[in-house]
Amino acid sequence: MQSCLVSVGYKTDVTDARISRLADLIVDYSLELQPGQVFRIDALDAASPLTLAFYRSAIRAGAFPYFSVGLEGTLELLLEHGTNEQIEYIAPQQWEEIEELDAIATIWSEANTRALSRVDPARHANYLAAQRRLHNRRWERIAAGEMRWCGTLFPTNAHAQDAGMSLSSYEDFVYSACHVDTGEAADHWRLVASSLRARAQELDSVKELRILGPDTDLRVSVDGRTWISAEGSYNMPDGEVFTSPVETATEGEIRYTFPAIYHGREVEDIRLRFEGGSVVHAEAARGDDYLKTLLEMDKGARILGEVAFGLNYEIDRFTRNILFDEKIGGTMHLALGSAFTQAGGNNTSGLHWDMICDLREDGEVYADGELVWKAGRFLHEPVPAPDPVEAAERA
Amino acid sequence: MPDPRHERFAKVLVDYSTSVGEGDLVLIESTPLARPLVTALYRRVVQAGGHPEVRIGLDGAVEALLAGGNDEQLGWISPRLRGDAKEATVRIAIEAESNTRALTGIDPARQAIFARSRSHLRDMTMERAAAGELRRVVTAFPTNASAQDAEMSLADYEDFVYRAGFLDEENPVASWQALGEKLARLAEWLGTKKELRVITEGTDLTVGVEGRRWIPCDGKENFPDGEVFTGPVETSVEGHVRFSFPAPHAGRLVRNIELRFEGGEVVEAHAAEGEEFLREMLAMDEGARRLGEFAFGMNDSVQEFTGHTLFDEKLGGTVHMALGKAYPESGGRNESALHWDLVCDLRGESEVHADGELVYRNGEFLPDLF
Repeated sequence: MQSCLVSVGYKTDVTDARISRLADLIVDYSLELQPGQVFRIDALDAASPLTLAFYRSAIRAGAFPYFSVGLEGTLELLLEHGTNEQIEYIAPQQWEEIEELDAIATIWSEANTRALSRVDPARHANYLAAQRRLHNRRWERIAAGEMRWCGTLFPTNAHAQDAGMSLSSYEDFVYSACHVDTGEAADHWRLVASSLRARAQELDSVKELRILGPDTDLRVSVDGRTWISAEGSYNMPDGEVFTSPVETATEGEIRYTFPAIYHGREVEDIRLRFEGGSVVHAEAARGDDYLKTLLEMDKGARILGEVAFGLNYEIDRFTRNILFDEKIGGTMHLALGSAFTQAGGNNTSGLHWDMICDLREDGEVYADGELVWKAGRFLHEPVPAPDPVEAAERA
Repeated sequence: MPDPRHERFAKVLVDYSTSVGEGDLVLIESTPLARPLVTALYRRVVQAGGHPEVRIGLDGAVEALLAGGNDEQLGWISPRLRGDAKEATVRIAIEAESNTRALTGIDPARQAIFARSRSHLRDMTMERAAAGELRRVVTAFPTNASAQDAEMSLADYEDFVYRAGFLDEENPVASWQALGEKLARLAEWLGTKKELRVITEGTDLTVGVEGRRWIPCDGKENFPDGEVFTGPVETSVEGHVRFSFPAPHAGRLVRNIELRFEGGEVVEAHAAEGEEFLREMLAMDEGARRLGEFAFGMNDSVQEFTGHTLFDEKLGGTVHMALGKAYPESGGRNESALHWDLVCDLRGESEVHADGELVYRNGEFLPDLF
């Protein structure tokens, strides 16, 4: 009788050097994985070349890697055939794992980005609510500095199709957004980090932003709020600075040029009017009903939870994937719904819906009355922020 | 186009082999190559009220660990492996490899470290199974790599695999139950014997089985199945044996193994190919030099050697014996991190004597014994 399974199979050639560079970048730079750390790679099987590259990279770093690879299509089966008890079930060992992990990398990699289009939304919501308990614990540990996390994407035809690109062009797009075309990716991201930190520090002293663009004239107060630099620690690619605006102060109108996507549904050409911080008028050329339903979700859904500048200029087009779209160089995004407490925001909502506004052609942004941004660029480089280590040593 | 045999396969594994019921935590362990079967199993488990959890292994990961990891990394057990060993009530393991020789270049000593560090998990699994807390079945999904080892096209190999599991029949479960009854009678009869002697070309081996239990295998723990096995008396094995079938183990192949036993222990070992690996496995620990299992292959739907132990050891007309760990339910007590099944073809000129009486000739038990 045979008793053990050697769990091998599925050999993939890792011939694209950019795949192993991306893994090395996230292991060394984003997660700063240390010898002895417990590291899990969460992925779908379509991402196997990158999953294996992560695994090799983590072995090289002296860490203890393992992976959790899902098979495309199983969630659909659970949502279709399962009872509520089955849908909401979380295996007990998952709770133990979350306490032991030092780092997780999530690789998004769908074989079909619309596979769940026809599942019962109520059953899907139950599933997500149950999973959220596990997610919340993960985020508690991340916030407490006990654990690191980074999300990235492995290019598939499904994502390429959403972007309206061939797979090979999409691969070029993804890897150049991550700056893994060459071997100096980590150096590049360290430079990006110091520039974004300087920008965030400079914005910290701003009280009010005024955004001007086609059908857009919006005033957003950021007085007393902290700007955060997204420099490749939590997402790869990355490249934005964001904060949460003062909840009661947003005034004026905005027109979002890109479709806004929420749970796979697109709403096109959204126009919003704010008074006293809340949306008082909303319309969309397509998906107007859905927009209005989401705004009714709760009180916080009508209030901005985030304002941000997209500053990754390698990302030069809309690809229907928020990981990339919110970082398009020359755009701003303003999200309705829940705010970031670490930025000083206190809006709460079940919604966090990033909507992206293209300011690359006619946009202008004024900071406390001074023009600081035109046609998708800040007018001057930020004064470099002091190196935090050096600053601490001097103090 | 879905192969209806996948659905039948999944149904037999979930309903018959592991009897999945409400609340079972069911691990489905395989590789992306077995997707059609994993998907069919997943659906069937949900329909049976269980909680399916998919565990997908990726080829190349074990190789990367064995090639690049330090000793601490080799020996490390992830919280998931540990948790799965503790919590699962059903495990369905599906072998599906893309290259059955992927680990040929790895230092066997490092493979031994890897195996030793995991042996306590295997022991825990065996104990939980023996205590009735876990049902587990090992099966195989046909891949090109396995077809290649069997020297068949994938289509022919698929037919072979499904035939071996009676999945080409209307009612596979009825056939398994019928074979199970026959094997139960054989096991009961073998239980009255003290000593077996196996004689064939290159082989004259005596194995003590007194007081040990023979277990009939009817598709509940291996699928396909069809064998009766026991754990031989640890100090009893005497003589020499030649294993005519190549012996795959841990991503390698060893050919023409010849062993000589004294007092239950291997005292001489040779192989035409892979002898160094054979010696490294025998040196893994003390129990690796003793037999943990002796068994008769009794599945007459398996008539071809395919280089895949799961099938070869069931081949009607063979015996197999495993170096290393014994299954506690057989009364065997040998402990080892190794369990390596080696198959000996008796379909040619050969005899088996039980307590001095001829009971088996040229691959078949004599009629009317049990």
